[in-house]
Amino acid sequence: MKRNARRQKITGFLMVLPLLIVFLGLTIYPFAYMIYMSFHRYTLASWEKPEFIGFKNYQDIWQDRTARSSVDFTVLLLVTAVPLEILLGIGIAFLLRDFFGERVFRSVLLVPMMVPAVVAGIAWKMLYNFDFGPMNYFLSIFGFPKISWLGTQFFSRLGVILIDVWQWTPFVFLVLYAGLQSIPREVVEASLVDGASGLSALRYIELPLLRPLIWVVLVIRVIDALKIFDVVYMVTFGGPGSATHSYSFYIYKVGISFGWDIGYASALSIILLLAITILTNVLIRTVRLRETLEL
Amino acid sequence: MRKTVLMVVLLGIVLLMAQVGQAAQLVVWSSPDNADAIHELAQNFMQKYPEVSIEVTPLSWEVLYPRILQDLTAGAGSFDVTTWDLMTAGAIAPGMLDLDAFAKEHPELVDPNFDDQDFISTARYVYGFWKDKRIGYPFYGAAMFFFYRKDLFNDPGLQEKFRAKYGRELAVPRNWQEAKEVAEFFTKKFNPDSPTEYGIALMFPRTHTLFYMFLNFFGPYRRSAEGVNKFGQVDLDWGDYFTADGKPAFNSEEGVKALQDMIDLMKYAPDPLGSDYGETLEAFSKGMVAMIPQWTACLASWKESPQLQPFEEKVGVAVMPGGSPVSGGWGLGINANSKNQEWAFRFIQYATGKEGDKLQWLKYRIGPTRKSVIDDPEVKADSPWLAEAYVQSLEGASHRPRIPEEPKLEDVLVGTLSEILLGQRPNSIETLNEVARDWEKVLGR
Repeated sequence: MKRNARRQKITGFLMVLPLLIVFLGLTIYPFAYMIYMSFHRYTLASWEKPEFIGFKNYQDIWQDRTARSSVDFTVLLLVTAVPLEILLGIGIAFLLRDFFGERVFRSVLLVPMMVPAVVAGIAWKMLYNFDFGPMNYFLSIFGFPKISWLGTQFFSRLGVILIDVWQWTPFVFLVLYAGLQSIPREVVEASLVDGASGLSALRYIELPLLRPLIWVVLVIRVIDALKIFDVVYMVTFGGPGSATHSYSFYIYKVGISFGWDIGYASALSIILLLAITILTNVLIRTVRLRETLEL
Repeated sequence: MRKTVLMVVLLGIVLLMAQVGQAAQLVVWSSPDNADAIHELAQNFMQKYPEVSIEVTPLSWEVLYPRILQDLTAGAGSFDVTTWDLMTAGAIAPGMLDLDAFAKEHPELVDPNFDDQDFISTARYVYGFWKDKRIGYPFYGAAMFFFYRKDLFNDPGLQEKFRAKYGRELAVPRNWQEAKEVAEFFTKKFNPDSPTEYGIALMFPRTHTLFYMFLNFFGPYRRSAEGVNKFGQVDLDWGDYFTADGKPAFNSEEGVKALQDMIDLMKYAPDPLGSDYGETLEAFSKGMVAMIPQWTACLASWKESPQLQPFEEKVGVAVMPGGSPVSGGWGLGINANSKNQEWAFRFIQYATGKEGDKLQWLKYRIGPTRKSVIDDPEVKADSPWLAEAYVQSLEGASHRPRIPEEPKLEDVLVGTLSEILLGQRPNSIETLNEVARDWEKVLGR
């Protein structure tokens, strides 16, 4: 009996082993190496071996103006685009429910999420073109002057926020719409029979039931927004000035474009990882997500 | 069924043997602007030497340099031959094959008609050497040029109006002060009679473009008699951004003046901070602007533009105002870890030889690097401006640094230049001093 249990254990372990090896090789090892490298000076372009420098890379980050301005824009995106996406996602999910042509609208709404970020970036860059772009063309129909979407601080930031909202509101909508479908109709109908208005039912019954999903979506979007890279790379390249220079984009530039400054890029990445971990944990604790989801 | 399977297996074996039978397979990495020309040269080379097969892989500028560096430092040998941007010379040099040493070891492979002394002297160094090591042969010679609407500059009506307004003849600007007047004249907002919407197309985005565009404005100050007196002669490895003793030169009165020239011109350009290569190309192609600083490669697309026909009458080429345009261009070199160095050596000699250099210019507008090609009657008939403007531009060009730290220096400066142009930071020596201090840090001083 004992031997049988042991054999089962070994078989189980052997079955999991390939996955464990892949996980160790592709996730744990690079992560550990990144931590190790963040304490070293190592730039491929210099052709020198890694040199241990302690916390120097981390100290440099606090004095790095570009890193600071990258944090500024990333935070701006976080506090503007993410709430907008959540609000719009909730609104569209409620509006579209039981709406005529629901299926068609639902499919169309999901298109932005399915477009590869690179393609979306190229398309938006064309839309924002100063002289030939459709955005300025439509504005001119209503008598507005041409806007330099990619050449001014305000509009380039607005431009990136718009793209993010366009691309990720469908994701919020999709999750919440699915959540809405799972709310038992009888509960809502019972409240209506008891004299509640449609708005009251929405406020006191449906939204509270949707809350766990809203928090989950919020956490996912916060993590994603902190990592924004593709849109910035494709549309603004961080400019003009430091207007749209996101933190992840800066890591890419330090780690790759600058000639592979592996040490400094690793330190920047660790800081981003810590920021994401702390922020999401605070968020999870604040909204008691574990209890709500019964995890 | 059995027969079919047998046939397929046999075919596979035959194909495999055919592959094995070939002497060598060269992998060539190239930037997209060089790729078409290299592809044709590779086809020609393979016809000449059927025993070799060449695969050309175009990689975008942003990807190519990091990939080369990654491969060379890892010693992977994923490519045999690559085009390399002149600015990357210092960083990639340790991993590239020393061509002079290789030629000495293999005299039988040296093409007797190669004629090394035929290269324009500046091109021979900046697209070929890092210090004393020969890491490539010049492939793509480039400096920026000043393209203008020849028909508008030759229009008697416009000439008359310009004379009345500015008290001098309408002519292609020789310096940036003159360029400001001409740009104003051709901007509808400032001159409702202007035939074009804007005077000049400028690309000042926060990319590497801004790093070279700034040199078109700073170069003339740096290379003037006063500039040379103050900063010393330009070192071809450290470039015009530095003094002769390797200190930053742009954090000076001259740097501030150059930036002011850029700021002054911005009001005559369509969306300069939001435009890059493609946008400015389009603006000139559509006839929206009268002047544009650009590379020669754009000529090929402009030749097709309906708004610029007849092309020879409508588009003129001149040396950049100030006379010190920024240099660009590419060398063609061999990976020190290549397993096919002999064939690679033969190929790069062919591609950078007289025949290849001429074909590249006539068909793909890839700037020649050989004197004999510029003097070639067919080339002269095709591009009469080449002999004067091209050689003058290349010989008098301003250079970006070619040292290994160049990419990082570039991003540090571009960030601040872009902030100054946007008005986020003041255009002052103090602002530029901050960048200079960052540069010193990057250089480990």
